[in-house]
Amino acid sequence: MADMSKIGKEYPAVIWEVERGKIREMATAIGDSNLIFRDKAAAVKEGYKDTPITPTYLTVPAMGGGNMLTLVGDLGINFAMVLHGEEEYEFLGDIYPGDVITGKCRIVNIEEKTTKKGSKMDLVTTEVLYKNQRGEDVARARTVIVERK
Amino acid sequence: MAQDLYFEDVQVGQAMPSLTKGPVAKLQLVMYAGASGDFNPLHTDDDFAKAVGMPGVIAHGMLIMGFVGQAITDWIPRKNLKKLGVRFAGMTFPGETITVTGAVTDKRKENGSNLITCEVTAADQNGGVKVSGSFVAALPSRG
Repeated sequence: MADMSKIGKEYPAVIWEVERGKIREMATAIGDSNLIFRDKAAAVKEGYKDTPITPTYLTVPAMGGGNMLTLVGDLGINFAMVLHGEEEYEFLGDIYPGDVITGKCRIVNIEEKTTKKGSKMDLVTTEVLYKNQRGEDVARARTVIVERK
Repeated sequence: MAQDLYFEDVQVGQAMPSLTKGPVAKLQLVMYAGASGDFNPLHTDDDFAKAVGMPGVIAHGMLIMGFVGQAITDWIPRKNLKKLGVRFAGMTFPGETITVTGAVTDKRKENGSNLITCEVTAADQNGGVKVSGSFVAALPSRG
């Protein structure tokens, strides 16, 4: 099973530049036609400084930025057997294109569970606090990943 | 697109407008893999998915959470969304149609903010729950 001694471990910060095109790409993949995620002028008209991030955009720095793969590699988890258990985002400040956000991933908990059907799984809970280029806290992400055994 | 929604106009028990998405297509999973950077082949490669015990590719849970996010920001302006948390309860397969529903469970004034909490669920055409969770939004006041 996963290495319990890694509870509390913090990984090096991932630095991620937020790009307008990536926000649009995420909205397109979801099939969300809301113009505020696609067009700066439309977003400004609705009171934003620029196109805001979609509610689930922070999966991009987590996956594309490498935090999740670093974690999976360090814990010796088989990525092919990983399912997503839970995800929570707390939005503490604005995040716009051009912002450079920094997120440190920390392991909050690791536990082993047995399902009703008797199959075993490891649950790993992580937390990432994202700060922007001005050092302001802008978001917190809490993730539970499940490794099927 | 979402119109301003005022704290005074929202009542506990009130339903949020539902949003139906899909059917989820394999092409959408490829698009989502590229957009998110989650290239686990479980979502894009049927042979791989079968080799790890699935009937075929499954959707990224985050895509379904994305549907939930869309349902929320179609109703409440993005800037008002303060927190969104979900549990992934079931796998979504290509061809399934997903409907997001929700209802207001609490409203309160806290540190000068007018907050509402809503429960949300994303379920398939047979009522099978894929995602359940809740969100918190801070709404403007008419006062």
